[in-house]
Amino acid sequence: MVNSAFAAETQQAPAQAAPVSAPKQAPAPQDVLVRMHKELQAALKRSQAERRWVMVIDLRRCIGCHACTVACISENKLPPGVVYRPVTIKEVGVYPKVSMEFLPRPCMQCDEPPCTEVCPVHATYKNSDGIVVVDYDQCIGCRACIAACPYGARTFDFGHNYLEGTPKGMEFLLSQEKANAYENKVNIEYGKRRERNGHASPVGNVRKCHFCLHRLEAGILPACTTTCIGRATYFGDANDKGSLVHELIARADVVQLKKELGTRPRVYYIY
Amino acid sequence: MNKSIAYTVGVIALLIGLYGFFDRLVYGEAHAAYGSFVVWGLWVAAYFFLGGIAVGCFLWGSLDLLFGLETFKGMGKTALWAALVTLVAGLMAIGFDLGHMERIWKAYIQVNFHSGVAEDVWAYTLFGIFTLIALYQSCSGSKPAKVILILGLIVALFVAGAPGKLMGVNAGRMYWHAGLLPVQFLIFALTTGAAMLMVIFGLFGASDKAARSFPVLTKATAGLLFVNLYMLWAYYSEGLTGNMPSVAEPIRMVMQEHAVLFWLVQVAVGLLIPLVVLSQSRTAANPALVGVMGLCVLLGNLVSRYFILVPAQQIDLLEGLSSAFHGRGYTLAYTPSMTEWAVFLGLIGIVILGLLIGADYLHPLCQCKSQKEA
Amino acid sequence: MIKFNSMTRRDFLKVSAVGTGAAFLSDMPHVCHAIEKALAAGDSSLFEADPTKQIHTVCLQCNTGCAIRVKILDGIAAKIEGNPYSPWTLWPHPAYKTPIKEMATLEGGICPKGQAGIQTLYDPYRIVSVLKRKPGTKRGEGKWVTISFDKAIDEIVNGGDLFGEGRVEGLKSVRALTDTEVAAKMAEAIKKYWDEKDKDKKKELLAKFKEDFKDHLHTLIDPEHPDLGPKNNQFMFVWGRMKGGREDLVHRFVQEAFGSINMNGHTTVCQGSLYFTGKSMSSKWNPEKGEFDSGDKFYWQADTGNSKFVIYVGNNLYDANYGPPQRVPKATQATVDGRKFVVIDPRCSKLAAKAWKWVPIKPGMDAAFAMGMMRWIFENERYNKGYLAIANQAAAKAAEEPNYSNAAWLVKLDDKGNPTKFLRASEIGLVTPVNEQGPDGKPVTRYVDKAGHKYPGDVPVILVDGKPVAFDPVDEKAAPAVGELLVDTTIADKPVKSSLQLLKDEAFKYSIEEWAQISGVSAEDIVVVAKEFTSHGRKAVADIHRGPSQHTNGFYNNNAFNVLNLLIGNYDYAGGYIKVSTYDRNGGKKGQPYPVAKMFGEHHFKAFGVDMLRTKAGYEKTSLFDGKYPTKRPWYPLASDVYQEDWASIGDAYPYPIKVLMTYMCGAVYSLPASQTVIDILSDTKKVPLHIASDILIGETSSYADYIFPDLSYLERWEFHGSHPSVPWQVENVRQPAVSLPGWPTVKVFGEEIPMCFEAVYLAIAERLKLPGFGPNGFAEGLPFTRPEHFYLKQVADIAFGHKEDGSDSVPEASDEELRIFLEARKHLPKSVFDPAKWKEALKNDESMWRKAVYVLNRGGRYEDFAKAYKGDKVAHPYGRLINLFQEKTAKSINTMTGKHMIGLPTFIPPGRDYLDQEIKDEGYPFNLITFKTMTMTKCRTITNYWLLSILPEGYVLINSADAAKLGIRHGDKVRLASASNPEGVLDVKGGRKIPIEGKAYVSEGIRPGVVAFPLGFGHWASGAGDVDVDGRLVKADARRTTPLHGNGVMRVDPVTKNVGLSDLVGGSSVFYDTKVKVIKV
Ligand SMILES: Nc1nc2c(c(=O)[nH]1)N[C@H]1C(S)=C(S)[C@@H](COP(=O)(O)OP(=O)(O)OC[C@H]3O[C@@H](n4cnc5c(=O)[nH]c(N)nc54)[C@H](O)[C@@H]3O)O[C@H]1N2
Ligand SMILES: Nc1nc2c(c(=O)[nH]1)N[C@H]1C(S)=C(S)[C@@H](COP(=O)(O)OP(=O)(O)OC[C@H]3O[C@@H](n4cnc5c(=O)[nH]c(N)nc54)[C@H](O)[C@@H]3O)O[C@H]1N2
Ligand code: SF4
Ligand code: SF4
Ligand code: SF4
Ligand code: SF4
Ligand code: SF4
Ligand SMILES: [Mo]
Repeated sequence: MVNSAFAAETQQAPAQAAPVSAPKQAPAPQDVLVRMHKELQAALKRSQAERRWVMVIDLRRCIGCHACTVACISENKLPPGVVYRPVTIKEVGVYPKVSMEFLPRPCMQCDEPPCTEVCPVHATYKNSDGIVVVDYDQCIGCRACIAACPYGARTFDFGHNYLEGTPKGMEFLLSQEKANAYENKVNIEYGKRRERNGHASPVGNVRKCHFCLHRLEAGILPACTTTCIGRATYFGDANDKGSLVHELIARADVVQLKKELGTRPRVYYIY
Repeated sequence: MNKSIAYTVGVIALLIGLYGFFDRLVYGEAHAAYGSFVVWGLWVAAYFFLGGIAVGCFLWGSLDLLFGLETFKGMGKTALWAALVTLVAGLMAIGFDLGHMERIWKAYIQVNFHSGVAEDVWAYTLFGIFTLIALYQSCSGSKPAKVILILGLIVALFVAGAPGKLMGVNAGRMYWHAGLLPVQFLIFALTTGAAMLMVIFGLFGASDKAARSFPVLTKATAGLLFVNLYMLWAYYSEGLTGNMPSVAEPIRMVMQEHAVLFWLVQVAVGLLIPLVVLSQSRTAANPALVGVMGLCVLLGNLVSRYFILVPAQQIDLLEGLSSAFHGRGYTLAYTPSMTEWAVFLGLIGIVILGLLIGADYLHPLCQCKSQKEA
Repeated sequence: MIKFNSMTRRDFLKVSAVGTGAAFLSDMPHVCHAIEKALAAGDSSLFEADPTKQIHTVCLQCNTGCAIRVKILDGIAAKIEGNPYSPWTLWPHPAYKTPIKEMATLEGGICPKGQAGIQTLYDPYRIVSVLKRKPGTKRGEGKWVTISFDKAIDEIVNGGDLFGEGRVEGLKSVRALTDTEVAAKMAEAIKKYWDEKDKDKKKELLAKFKEDFKDHLHTLIDPEHPDLGPKNNQFMFVWGRMKGGREDLVHRFVQEAFGSINMNGHTTVCQGSLYFTGKSMSSKWNPEKGEFDSGDKFYWQADTGNSKFVIYVGNNLYDANYGPPQRVPKATQATVDGRKFVVIDPRCSKLAAKAWKWVPIKPGMDAAFAMGMMRWIFENERYNKGYLAIANQAAAKAAEEPNYSNAAWLVKLDDKGNPTKFLRASEIGLVTPVNEQGPDGKPVTRYVDKAGHKYPGDVPVILVDGKPVAFDPVDEKAAPAVGELLVDTTIADKPVKSSLQLLKDEAFKYSIEEWAQISGVSAEDIVVVAKEFTSHGRKAVADIHRGPSQHTNGFYNNNAFNVLNLLIGNYDYAGGYIKVSTYDRNGGKKGQPYPVAKMFGEHHFKAFGVDMLRTKAGYEKTSLFDGKYPTKRPWYPLASDVYQEDWASIGDAYPYPIKVLMTYMCGAVYSLPASQTVIDILSDTKKVPLHIASDILIGETSSYADYIFPDLSYLERWEFHGSHPSVPWQVENVRQPAVSLPGWPTVKVFGEEIPMCFEAVYLAIAERLKLPGFGPNGFAEGLPFTRPEHFYLKQVADIAFGHKEDGSDSVPEASDEELRIFLEARKHLPKSVFDPAKWKEALKNDESMWRKAVYVLNRGGRYEDFAKAYKGDKVAHPYGRLINLFQEKTAKSINTMTGKHMIGLPTFIPPGRDYLDQEIKDEGYPFNLITFKTMTMTKCRTITNYWLLSILPEGYVLINSADAAKLGIRHGDKVRLASASNPEGVLDVKGGRKIPIEGKAYVSEGIRPGVVAFPLGFGHWASGAGDVDVDGRLVKADARRTTPLHGNGVMRVDPVTKNVGLSDLVGGSSVFYDTKVKVIKV
């Protein structure tokens, strides 16, 4: 056991309670995703003001697979160049002692966000869940918030489409017109369905991670969290004393990115 | 002769610009080269640049209109017109840069005053209004109301530094986060305002009255250029010596990757040569030369604004961030696109033509006209 | 519209705290309410949580086959998630019985490719019309015409002058033998001929055959060699990626209906030698014969989640393998728990980067490393003696061991001391043969020992207390046999050694230092790893994959690590080495409602003859045997599905020419090494007179076809994906139609309207040719096979029924509520795909069975409960029988190129040898080229997924920084690869296009010096990466799909046969890692 603070969590995790060696009375093992899912349902019963969404990313478990990145793209139908959760990869060491560091970077949902103050039209702000949101119908697209974010967590929607440049109007092929519905018709960020056409928002807007607010509302964990195959991403209500994230952010080896800036991120990393 | 060349240049620039405007309006920002790291590119640089000229012109003009300085007598109206023309072009630049320019009204009605952008919107609007009133008044024969000019002056001083603040607030970007940035921008504004007036008067024939301002204007510009140079040295040497990558890297980028533009255009053409030429009484008395120097200063200043703005955005905020993903706009690289250049040229065209038309047709506004008659 | 809403308290505080005077105009975010209102209304977000907008099916973005959930909005596949019922996506997975409604908001994890599957489905380049090579143009020229489905079927059935190049034979005339009864008789006669060992008798049998079938000789390929089989065999079906269901259908069509023996998969391009090492090691003792029968084509993997120590050998778990979603959580759990793992790989994979130890081995030297470990283990006596001594099933049972090995069995040696066969008890007089009457009345030989115990056949021998003892290997009730382990002696003048002794001798051929030197690592690495490996009881394991396998010595690399596992006896143990377990879908278990594999309306065809790959009959048995070696091309006695050999055999018309080739989901041209050889053969209409392809786009391989039939993608069709060894639960993943593309064409077969797809092609051909097993009485009188679901739903029913004859193992019936959700969720599907009445009909309108099937379909498959996978410290579904340390069958097999016997146990042979087993030197080509998979790419298939390309848009040449420095190559410089068989480093893809094999250099510390590597997936020229012309209209390539680089084109061509890449002639693997290259800066 590496760290005692983690014991409580791994006790629930299968390797510890694998049926082979499980003591008779051990709690039924469950995937950490199942646990967080249950916690989410409970958290949703509390009022917004009472809950505090946080995300914890265990870098020891991150394998740099980018499942989270792509899940997020798919969930939010992000166009080319727009990304909410890139994962950086860094090679360290010299042959033959080599390792890699992977760092997934969602929006930190800073409690002191430098990005919101600079918005001329209140289009981006911390909502009552504490999530820094962007109102697409409000945003004028000045990009001041992108410049202000010290984490590079915001990207701009220039109106591109992934299927741009693919064949059109060929009846022997599926062709772009029939293919592009997935890209243009199913964006549901912030619970509002938007069709992507012309200059209509979110084209021309800044876009960022919103902790999958629309999913949370429906009782579903963020897309990056459920699909994290390393099980490196944890999400939940830190105000819930029984929650996994509550437990994790108390660990000694938990850090926040650029903590010195005083932005008070709600995303924590375990090194 | 100068004028017909200028008209030709202006018309060509505008024609190219029309293509750019069309492209921007139809395709949105799809053809822009700036992106999610370099979020502010040529258009924003142009906005800072043109806005700076506007403010500078206003400030110089107020020496005549508000303070009634003898040497500057008679150039106030021209300065105000130049301010208005460049302001309009500058605002167009930033307008094109907005993802949803049709929503700009929100910045008035649903404004967040903590925002630098909002401050800018309001300040530029007020500045524009004051300039317009002052211009109107001075054109309709009466002297502009003092209160308008004073308010204008206050707003102008604020607006002059605003771009500096806009960048400076970004505490995450050390390169910009320097308290001095607004001051620098004020200096830029004054320098380019003066340079603009030198171009107008020097190249398009100043009235005798206006020419009287030359010795002071040129000396003052030389002084400002020196301050510019001094600040550049302070900024760069401090940054390089400090060697903090987020500060030193943009500087290295400018000095190495953009060596020609920096050393030749910004420093030599934009600063040193005009400094020498304008500080010598003999050369400073040659209107054409002064005009050309004005152009040089403007050019150099455009480059310097660009260099303050852009390279700072070409630094990864987290190691490897820019290579963690690939896609249009997700890159640290930035070279303005055709569309951006076209729009930029269009704006320059508007400025050139605006100034010329002002001179030629808006008779009471411009002293050039009276010179023509003379 | 604009409302000046009151601000929230927090916002208010903030504003007043900042306290700017300007606040007078400041409208607090009216919008925040807009967003919150939208969320509360949940207008569209809720579709995600709505079980009637979800269909559970199976991913095929790679072969891991993760269970997925497709979320559907207005008929559009909007999002893909992990299906929470399945052990692929959650660990542990929740109870199977959980109502689907309760599961609607729970999701499991899948990889980025799984997420991006939407872009495979909605690829604008997908073909929706049958395409025919434009008459007058060449294969690969990229010119096509559209043709109606029916016309295309008519043409391929009837043949004719289809391309203005002369007559092409159609399927009808290729199917020369149509009489299934005659075929059955012929097959029997041929079998008899093959089984006859006596030369003269063989001749007689041949003559008799000609006499007996004189009226049918014209239906044979070559009456002089009737054992080549009927002309039907000249129809050859080759597939790339194919899974259960379709595989069963292909079997039905090709072998049992059409009557061709030639249907081959792609196994050897994948990790063939791994499968065939498994097959050899699992070779079964036949007690009647006293000989070994064939084993199972399969392999073992680590029980990742429960191991305390794992050695991953050439296993790319964090980027590939089978597969990340189900294995990674277990591996990362080990990391945080402090359980160690080692990665042996010349390249620092992501897995290696996170390992306790990365061992950058020299490519292909894996067996040497394993041998070094074994030596240490022998020297320190760290092998599991108690387990290894167990010599038969009875002893295993007594010791409560799940399985046993032949480690103690005695092997005879030839005069050179080489092992030959297991000693048989009769040879030393321990038993004597007696003749009796068998149960069927035929005479049989039994063997009796001195005590009077009778064995059904001859038996092997172990040494007990220095004395030889005969024993029955497989009979559970026989006397337990526990033998001495290290035996080197002579019995009755026969020199013998125990299997384990043979192994020890192999391991002691070199010192540990020497093994280390051969494998290019330090001796300390070997020792440390060996020590750790033997420090965790049965909870340590070596898990191998393609890295050791795809070499010319792949079989022995795999064998060495498999045997290493055997030394600690971890097979079938939790945390050890385990095997796959699935539900039978073909009605093989008693009581299952639909034994589809056996349900034929009429007589089915018994395909027979030498297959094109020469895997099914030994050379020496056939009429082609002339006593000479080498043969024109190798025979593969141990392997099958030798993908690279398909094309080369066609090219050489050995053993016979083919007439019609059908390829399915086949990327051979791209996926195989030495691509040029495949291209050259496929573009030659003399060698391949007719090539029909099934594809979803104009792919790398189908671009050399004459007809391409559009297929449904994996999100629109049926299949049974099965499982993988590392999954201990009994499962079956069911792929089913989740969505349908707008306007997808339908066709009419047997009067039914069904979507145009792979099945439609077979049904239509069957209709034209009146093939048995298809049509209104396809399964039985009155039981039609006229729609795809007629076949697949029956298989679902079998799975739902389970394995207990009394049905006690079957799933519950779907409740009314679940049935409602089932129907509702499929409302968007067109009638041609989903017509509830027709679906139910496929199950004979049996309401109970229907509901059970629905229960399974609602869950996307069947998954055993989490707790049931283990029994104590062992797995609940063990392999459970003999594991061959010494493989007699292998040792008896002959490599027909060298004429030598193969070696039946782990041994070290250097990699990189040609078909005559000679070293390939390739001087002047200093680098060893290897290849690997990257998380975002699968084969040639994912280049269509733009989301994935935004993670990694192009391939590269991975090179060590020291090597790069020597060559003056900087990160990002463009380099070209060249080899002795492709000195220019270009691939000629025909149609005037030549693709340079070049891309950017990726300079890294993470690769062994002297080795360069490239990731799979880039460097395309079709699949939307090449301009094509259809009906005179230009379809432009997409530049994003043409990015560099693909290195298979530079891989070594075998210098002996010259039309194929290198191969492991024992295990069958196509060789990916033994090419020497030059890296040229361009
Ligand atoms: N992302 C992704 N995942 C996939 C697939 C895919 O296409 N893409 N395909 C699936 C399929 S079909 C398969 S077969 C599996 C394959 O799964 P793996 O076999 O685990 O994956 P590969 O990348 O082929 O693995 C080869 C590894 O062996 C290393 N290697 C090369 N030469 C040697 C050697 O001589 N010795 C040793 N020890 N290592 C060596 C390579 O560097 C690489 O890391 O992956 C499956 N999963
Ligand atoms: N360099 C390098 N090469 C490799 C490997 C490697 O690691 N490195 N790995 C090897 C491995 S492990 C394997 S398994 C092989 C796999 O190689 P193959 O079995 O040859 O298969 P794929 O490359 O998957 O090609 C499948 C083709 O089928 C078509 N297709 C796609 N979807 C469908 C569909 O739904 N229906 C139909 N009818 N057709 C479809 C497309 O044209 C696609 O190109 O590649 C091998 N090649
Ligand atoms: S990470 Fe950036 S975008 Fe997110 S809240 Fe903080 S400052 Fe704002
Ligand atoms: S881009 Fe939009 S959200 Fe960002 S500061 Fe500008 S208006 Fe606000
Ligand atoms: S929380 Fe949602 S929006 Fe944020 S990165 Fe994860 S998937 Fe994307
Ligand atoms: S999905 Fe999880 S393991 Fe994969 S990159 Fe994202 S955080 Fe890391
Ligand atoms: S591992 Fe393979 S099967 Fe599983 S989700 Fe990824 S691509 Fe699909
Ligand atoms: Mo594979």
